[in-house]
Amino acid sequence: MTRSDALGQAALALGAAGVASPVFALSTSSNNNFVLVQSLGLVVFPALGLVAILGVVLAQRLFVVLAGAGFALAASVQLFQFGRSTNGLDGNGSTFSLLMAIGIGLLTVGLTPSIPPSDETA
Amino acid sequence: MSKEAGRVTDAPVVGDDSRTTRALVGILRVGVALLWIENAGWKKPPDFTSLHKYATYAVDYPVFSPFTWVIEHVVLPHFTIFGWMTLLLEASLGAFLLVGLATRLWALLGVGQSLAIALSVLNAPNEWEWSYYLMILAHVALFASAAGRSFGLDGVLRPMWRASSNRVPQLLLRLS
Repeated sequence: MTRSDALGQAALALGAAGVASPVFALSTSSNNNFVLVQSLGLVVFPALGLVAILGVVLAQRLFVVLAGAGFALAASVQLFQFGRSTNGLDGNGSTFSLLMAIGIGLLTVGLTPSIPPSDETA
Repeated sequence: MSKEAGRVTDAPVVGDDSRTTRALVGILRVGVALLWIENAGWKKPPDFTSLHKYATYAVDYPVFSPFTWVIEHVVLPHFTIFGWMTLLLEASLGAFLLVGLATRLWALLGVGQSLAIALSVLNAPNEWEWSYYLMILAHVALFASAAGRSFGLDGVLRPMWRASSNRVPQLLLRLS
């Protein structure tokens, strides 16, 4: 998995989405249902996203898998804490959905074996 | 999977597979994903109060009597389970459509969930019924265009899934 192959580029895009997620903290929407990224979430999203990007830059697939597992774990924590008095990531169901998207995406990309370019069909 | 001149391809299933067309299909997919992501935000456990209000619309303003019966006698008495199922389904719809993974499967599930919502609230006051028809049609468009192949993970992963003889990749090939 490198910056020049399709899997690497997909992992880069997903990692970049994680890094960019704090932009949701700038939302001034009054309905307040859209992705809540605040408090601990402001650290978790970009940190895990950076791990995924590092994995591609250093051609270390394991980093991508670990980042994906981290997002999936954060999604699980968010799911079971959403609506309770203890809400570590201070997010909601939308936050859970975004964490799941990036986590499943990175895990899928990280765990899919590459094939030699000559075997790829258009 | 589309076939061109007898060959199986991974090309988007649209008449014109130009970059612009693919980008527009990708925008449609991400837009529909954001719809579900936002709607996962207000389904709040453990009591799902707001969702419960909309579910009772199916009984108070019935659209289709068998559906009303199911809501009244099956869903409302076990509402906590139903609330969790709805949250998980809608958050998953948002997640999988956002990254474009197994998109055709999730487009079909989106049609089903949109239909369930329509059957709950279509006759309620101040509802615009075309909102729900358009939701259904948007998911039909995602299915028809195999939208995950346009700037989605389906497009990236299909060649690898095809190269594998395992069941899971072969299944994902069909669902994408």
